[in-house]
Amino acid sequence: MTYKSILGLRGLLAGGAMAMAAFMPLKAHAETTYNLALLSDFSGPYADIMPILAGGREAVFTWWNATHGKELGVTLNYKNYETRYDAAQVASLWPGIKSELDPIAVVGLGGPDVAALSERLPEDKIPMFMATAAYGFAWKEDAWIFNPRPTYSHESAGFLAWMKEKRGGDEPLKVAIMASEASPAYVDMAKGLELYAEENPEELDLVEIIYTEVQPTDLTTQMRRVARAGAEALIIQTNTSIVVAAKRGLQANGADIPIMMSSHNGLPASGGALGGLDQLEGDFEAYGMAVAADEETTARQFYQTLVADHGLKAPWNVVTAMGVSQGLYTVTVIQHAIEENGAEGLTGEKVRNALFAKPITTEETHGFLPTLTFTPEAPFPLKGLKVNVGTVKDGKIVIQATGVDVPNVHKW
Amino acid sequence: MVYFVNDIITGALIGLLYSLVAMGFVVIYRASKVFNFAQGELVIIGGFIVWFTTMQLGLSLWFSIPLSLVLAGLVGYAIERIFLTKLIGESVFSMVMVTVGLLILLRGLVLLLFGPAVRPFPIIFPLKPLFLGDMLIPMNLLIGGIITIVAALGLSWFFNRTRSGLRMTAVAEDHIVASSMGISVKGSIAFAWVLGAILSTIGAMIFLSGKSLTFLASDIGFAALPVALFAGLESIGGLILAGVIIGIVQSLTTNYLDPLIGGSLGSVVPYIIMLAILLIRPTGLFGWRTIERV
Repeated sequence: MTYKSILGLRGLLAGGAMAMAAFMPLKAHAETTYNLALLSDFSGPYADIMPILAGGREAVFTWWNATHGKELGVTLNYKNYETRYDAAQVASLWPGIKSELDPIAVVGLGGPDVAALSERLPEDKIPMFMATAAYGFAWKEDAWIFNPRPTYSHESAGFLAWMKEKRGGDEPLKVAIMASEASPAYVDMAKGLELYAEENPEELDLVEIIYTEVQPTDLTTQMRRVARAGAEALIIQTNTSIVVAAKRGLQANGADIPIMMSSHNGLPASGGALGGLDQLEGDFEAYGMAVAADEETTARQFYQTLVADHGLKAPWNVVTAMGVSQGLYTVTVIQHAIEENGAEGLTGEKVRNALFAKPITTEETHGFLPTLTFTPEAPFPLKGLKVNVGTVKDGKIVIQATGVDVPNVHKW
Repeated sequence: MVYFVNDIITGALIGLLYSLVAMGFVVIYRASKVFNFAQGELVIIGGFIVWFTTMQLGLSLWFSIPLSLVLAGLVGYAIERIFLTKLIGESVFSMVMVTVGLLILLRGLVLLLFGPAVRPFPIIFPLKPLFLGDMLIPMNLLIGGIITIVAALGLSWFFNRTRSGLRMTAVAEDHIVASSMGISVKGSIAFAWVLGAILSTIGAMIFLSGKSLTFLASDIGFAALPVALFAGLESIGGLILAGVIIGIVQSLTTNYLDPLIGGSLGSVVPYIIMLAILLIRPTGLFGWRTIERV
């Protein structure tokens, strides 16, 4: 008897709950969840920076879910996949990622992700958003893999144009490049700038491209050659160990040639590996996103919001800035897609279309990135390209220049 | 001309660094006939021990270097006791496969214990190079070259002139026969691993002095491989000549050919030499020729 009455009560409660759900406001009722696949390298060559970069991008997703996502009735779920920065590993993981998550976008890390997925993503109609600068070998029309920054060669060409202007005079700037055949991306960075120098002899005089190992034994004689050739800048966009070996080689020769680094091997990482930022006094980092310096900027204020309210634990540095900017332009594109198509039935293809439909303004990325106008012609914005330059002054990273125009670099 | 001579000298000194790392291969091979694929990882372990005692514990170099060598020796001993001692009498192939497993395990252990961060390695040798007129010689490589030659002479004498060294050679010939002659096979192999780990740690100090330390530094193990095979896996004295030849050829290729071709032929040349010598003389320049009576 008692049994029957309990069942009756349960039925009544269930019916009431269903009725309540049916009459709830539409926005809360239509809470929609989409998945993002995050490709990460916690045990490969970029394992040292990965926790920081991952922290930056994940904090942005948390922030977006709590703010814009809540308003739109959308939650972005994400899951990290360990790729060891290995194209074969990415390729073997991809079918599983697709069937497990059915993601509307992939948040990539570097060259191996591009190499492994550039043929697959157009078929699967899922876009991938990178944090790094773009690669010449991936500079194709109708892309499904996108970079918020132009190629590394665009960024170094922008920096060198700024440096030449700062130096003054009409003579071309003498430059040397450190590269490595350990990665196709490292070769690509050098080849693009090499072509730019060939096409613009009045701007650049490329004295030498030095190929070395990722952990060089000794670069003293190579640096002597560079100094002897009168190089005014040394471009190293490869890794931290090469920056350290080159710096030691320059110091051994008593040569004071400024080094330009990129974001992944920038001033904090290379300074740390050299035993202190003071070792890089007068050297530079240049890239198409905000410089993580001590100055109070819009980007820094947003970082502080992420730390205070959304659990970000990563320090304020260039790697965190990379992760945050990657997260920000990814969520902005998704937001544009939702505004265009509604919260229901969002697909990777609709997200990609939204990328071309409307620019991502610098306000939307809280000053981390310039305004980005993507077109189907390239995987990165071709117009309005800018780089920012940071340097070390009195042992601290400071912003040296912002919004430096990037010259026209042709496809190679 | 001065720069050309300078490039030859620097190349020879880099070659001697390869010889020192290759010495680890040879010492272990001579005592056990096992080719240790994890030699580069032993360099990394040695490097991290030096970094830990110097940078983390803050010990002075005079104290941290001997302590690091002792600790490295203990690591070598532990590796032999845990992974290899039970394989005595088994096929050499099994032992070689264990070293392949060790390569993966040691990399993982380094990541687990020390994390993936790029760290500054202590400045053990002066950063200021030696200037001889217009010539410039990096001090770490110069001192390293002297250490390598002294170590090669000492080990050559040990293996060819002392009873302990000759016992180790007998162990390498055949574990069972050596055992039946009353030679401690376990002791000989353990000693070889201790020696191999110590040599790797010295190599790490020369290689990384004033530079940065990551697990990528284990690549020097592969760079030393052509030197070991070129010399012949049994010859410690031969390593010096092989290292100098490979170092000079690599240096000249890097400095004179690479700028012309716009590539990195210099990093490939040692392996081309290695393959050529294996085709012409499979035992290497000074390796033992085995005569088998059937």
